[in-house]
Amino acid sequence: MSISQRQLALLLIAPGLALVAALFLYPLSFSLISAFTGPKGGVSLDAFRKAWELYSGDVLFTVVIVLASCSFTGLAAIIIAGTLTLGENRWIVGTLKALYRWPLFIPFIVAAQCMRTFLAKNGLMNNSFVAMGLMEPLQAVSFLDWRGIIATFVWKQTPFVALLLAGALAAIDRATLEAGRNLGASRLRVLVELALPQVMPQLLVALVLSFVTMLSVLSVPMMVAGSQPTLLTVDMAFRINAYGDYATANALGVITYLLSAGAAIIYLKRGMAKESAS
Amino acid sequence: MRAGSQVMSGVGAAIEVRGLHVAYGGTKVLHGVDLDFAPGSFTALLGSSGCGKTTLLRSLSGFVPVLSGSIAVGGKDVAGLPPEKRGMAMVFQSYALWPHMTVLQNIGYGLKLRGVSKRDIAAKVSSLLAMLGLSGYEDRKVTAMSGGQRQRVALGRALAVDPGILLLDEPLSNLDAKIRMTMRHEIRAIQQRLGVTTIHVTHDREEAMTMADRLVIMNAGRIAQIGTPEEVYDRPNSAFVANFMGAENVLPVRVESGEGPATIAAGEARYVIPRERDLALPAGEALAYFRDDVASLDAPDAAPGEDLVVPGRIAARSYPGGLYRYRIEVAGRQLTVDHAIRHEPGAAVGLRIPLSRLHIFPAAQASIPA
Repeated sequence: MSISQRQLALLLIAPGLALVAALFLYPLSFSLISAFTGPKGGVSLDAFRKAWELYSGDVLFTVVIVLASCSFTGLAAIIIAGTLTLGENRWIVGTLKALYRWPLFIPFIVAAQCMRTFLAKNGLMNNSFVAMGLMEPLQAVSFLDWRGIIATFVWKQTPFVALLLAGALAAIDRATLEAGRNLGASRLRVLVELALPQVMPQLLVALVLSFVTMLSVLSVPMMVAGSQPTLLTVDMAFRINAYGDYATANALGVITYLLSAGAAIIYLKRGMAKESAS
Repeated sequence: MRAGSQVMSGVGAAIEVRGLHVAYGGTKVLHGVDLDFAPGSFTALLGSSGCGKTTLLRSLSGFVPVLSGSIAVGGKDVAGLPPEKRGMAMVFQSYALWPHMTVLQNIGYGLKLRGVSKRDIAAKVSSLLAMLGLSGYEDRKVTAMSGGQRQRVALGRALAVDPGILLLDEPLSNLDAKIRMTMRHEIRAIQQRLGVTTIHVTHDREEAMTMADRLVIMNAGRIAQIGTPEEVYDRPNSAFVANFMGAENVLPVRVESGEGPATIAAGEARYVIPRERDLALPAGEALAYFRDDVASLDAPDAAPGEDLVVPGRIAARSYPGGLYRYRIEVAGRQLTVDHAIRHEPGAAVGLRIPLSRLHIFPAAQASIPA
């Protein structure tokens, strides 16, 4: 490539590059610098020390909640996508197909609001159980705590993972599944032993994306579970809104970023190991 | 179960299909199929695309629900059972091997489902691989194998469970011509050795003829003819079968059978059938079907003898090798004839067809245009 062509190429990508730099790289590096800047200027880990002192419990809580949500989301998505792919009852498959995508189109904040009215002590769920005679009114407990966060995350993210998974399952050679049935495998075994291993990469991508999405949601932990411990997003909002403490908030942001980078690395490593194996 | 060094098989099972109706959505695909498969027989289901042969195979294996009718295996109706309970092993057109498993895991999967120990699975797989000419390939990923090797693994996977019935769904159509020839013989030899009842779906006439004991020709969801390869090839029972088996030349004729001896007339050519020749011919307008290689070229006024000699004109000539291939214009139709001697296009010739090689059907029945 001659010099003029290279310059032309740079010119062509310049608008895109400028956009990424202005809207993504600049704020990111700004907050990174802010996280590593001490109160009197200069490089310091003060903000991290403070963040860890105050919120180490929340870091752990966040990791556990998001990982648990991912696991349940994966499980629910496998059940839904498996039923869509291998189900034989046309009525069930048709109904499921029509219904399962709906939460995709509902924002997190609306989902959180729905869960508040559903999972509260006098919420729809408990009232329904009482009305059905399954429970005494006095036994009713509120689920508006960590369980509520997990329930909301799973409810909101399952359709996304199920959508990607069902697409991947639909794309594999159906004969490979029929071959399993033909040799005597039940539908459950076909799903677990023959279908899922073929779509593991897609499932993993969907779960990594869900992991990162859940890490960044503010509305759900704020609305569904007000009390401590809570997710890091709430702590960040609190540092900024209550104290104008951008340094600590940015330090928490960097920690969140490292968590999602961890998920990305796990995914990339697996992908590369696969590529070198085949 | 004991998996020894020798590949053992259960004796093939008998299948009786009675009044089988199958539909996809609202479209009927099979219209009442009755068919018996003797234990240990090799049957080819042959027909053009959309004739219902694959549907018949898939309804036998349980992947297509049956609308009505019965499928009895060894006297027991299996039409309502799910695929995993039918005891039939299938080899798929796309091989359908599991890409995340090794050869050993693929072939051994059916045995694993049956609770066979790891050691016995390894022994059985190893003997199967020896039979298939793939010894030592146990730990190979199936994605790293050629088409022919994959198809062998697929066959091994089906045979590993000692099925009474082996279903082959166009297993050779994805292979290149040379490997296909080899696999034909290998599959046939293995089938004979194991005595497994085999049903082979194909649209390749030669493949069906060379592999099977018996052909079932299907047309539009019905069985058109059942018979040995010779019977179906030499004595087709309908215009469809004659045409499908390669008798693609169609000559309109008129059969007159009155008080005197019967005659066949094609245009100006006439042939009087001697009384002693017992030919069951339809009277009136008919169509005669014959293959390219049974006719020959002669002088237009040659003595007919035992044959029908129809005058015609050479419209075109080509040389595919060995013989010349002519397009002959006869009675307003173009026919294809292979002949050893070179003639010039435009020449008047006599098309000589042995009467015994003509398949004659009433014009009303033969709906296939020339």
